[in-house]
Amino acid sequence: MNSIQLSRGIFNRIRPLFTARVHARNYHEKVIDHYENPRNVGSFDKSDGNIGTGLVGAPACGDVMKLQIKVDENGKIIDAKFKTFGCGSAIASSSLATEWIKGKSLKEANSIKNQDIAKELCLPPVKLHCSMLAEDAIKAAINDYNTKKTKQSKESD
Amino acid sequence: MMTKSIFRNILSVTPRFYRSTIRLLSSLSPIEYETIADETLESLTEAFEILLEKHKLPSDVTYSNGVLTVELEKFGTYVINKQTPNKQIWLSSPFSGPKRYDFINQTWVYKHDGISLHKLLTEELSNVFKKDKDIRFEACDYGESKNANVK
Repeated sequence: MNSIQLSRGIFNRIRPLFTARVHARNYHEKVIDHYENPRNVGSFDKSDGNIGTGLVGAPACGDVMKLQIKVDENGKIIDAKFKTFGCGSAIASSSLATEWIKGKSLKEANSIKNQDIAKELCLPPVKLHCSMLAEDAIKAAINDYNTKKTKQSKESD
Repeated sequence: MMTKSIFRNILSVTPRFYRSTIRLLSSLSPIEYETIADETLESLTEAFEILLEKHKLPSDVTYSNGVLTVELEKFGTYVINKQTPNKQIWLSSPFSGPKRYDFINQTWVYKHDGISLHKLLTEELSNVFKKDKDIRFEACDYGESKNANVK
């Protein structure tokens, strides 16, 4: 038992020397923060007239984001919630997105770009697609809300 | 075969039907997708290697498991990879960010603006190597859309 532990201990000390050449790609601390303390996780009632729901991605790709917005009569987003299935970068991107859109008008929220999200979270090249998906989710939610409102106003006419 | 190509061309001219029928027309079988995507990426790998060798730029080109990574020391990293569930090729460019390409008309096109992957790469790399007027990624496999009439 002891000799196994000893050799394991030695191996663990030597291992960094072998793997030194490999880049250690760690998650940025901002991404970890969103992962461990995600903001605004949850759901609204989809059928509520003041809620816009954006559902983007596909399970087969490994990323699905559901982002919902609650909008008041003045067209301002007063609350946002998200649920994401995916990697840490995807979760962080959608969590950040809900933080950013709260308190903004629909127009302002529509202009949030994936580059801003990626820059804020310092996403590596291979994870830029997550920020793109978050931007898509915001737009999808706004679209859904607008469609609902148009339908409602048509029905009341 | 002929009618399919004609059909394809007519629909590409009528924007309204373009989107809904794209799904039908670019429905490659999984095997077709794998072969075409692999060939595309292998060809791109070669093109990048040749280009960067020519200009002696400090860089690193690796292609494995369907992921092509091109690290350009000063500018950032390109990641071009297969996205099998969507039958797409995904690009992450250090200049223009992420894009997703579908196989349309024998080449890979970004639906939002209609620009092909190879055209974008030619533009961006020509910008990097301003003196080189010969950069043409369209010469790679599946770099250009093929007109049915040309065949």
